Amino acid sequence: MADGRRTGGGGGGGRGRGDKKDSEKGGPRRGMFRRKKICKFCTEKVDYIDYKDAKMLMPFVPERAKILPRRISGVCAMHQRKLQTAIKRARQLALLPYATD
Amino acid sequence: MSDARQYELVYILSPDATEQEITDLHTQVESIIARYQGELLKTENWGRRRMAFRIGKHREGTYVLEVFKGTGDLTKELDRRLKVIDNVIRHLCVRVDEELRVAERDRARRQADVDRRVAKGLPVGGPPRRSRDDDGDTDSGDETEVR
Repeated sequence: MADGRRTGGGGGGGRGRGDKKDSEKGGPRRGMFRRKKICKFCTEKVDYIDYKDAKMLMPFVPERAKILPRRISGVCAMHQRKLQTAIKRARQLALLPYATD
Repeated sequence: MSDARQYELVYILSPDATEQEITDLHTQVESIIARYQGELLKTENWGRRRMAFRIGKHREGTYVLEVFKGTGDLTKELDRRLKVIDNVIRHLCVRVDEELRVAERDRARRQADVDRRVAKGLPVGGPPRRSRDDDGDTDSGDETEVR
């Protein structure tokens, strides 16, 4: 079982590296730190992502105040969708910025 | 029952609004809700807080949250009224009953799962948590190669 997951992870990593021309560059990085990402909301068992809770949403809108992509945060698809609406609502209420300069 | 939906209304008053004006607006909202046979469930005054960006010429605003039950006509009327009032610099009305119902269902389902596990004498924790622990091990100790 552990092997299966490992292979799957390797495949995912390989796809990411495929974008780069230089295969040597990707080579040494194999298996260095490929941390399995976990959905914060699944592990913490958050049912409802509240748009009023700006503090909770802050980590998902870094620096430029863009919504952090799922491939970086590791949030699962379902929660990313909910997070997206929550962030957009929070922006309307000026709880979160649309953009920062 | 079927057409009574739960909404959350948040409005931001301009920072120069007095306490009196805030309570006045609140009673106004209350009366509109009452007129449309709605039911006010909760009111929260978040007080003055800094906004993430400038709205008009304001940098701060007084936030007020109202949770109520009502129909679509009620929200339409509230929306219309709040737009007219100059003191209100921003408002947002969101329907929440469905999302809350989903959240409640998920919670109940998880609780049922925990109960079942307890009844069976299985460890309570759930699969997601376990998998995270496994991964933690794989990262540090590289379990796969040891096996």
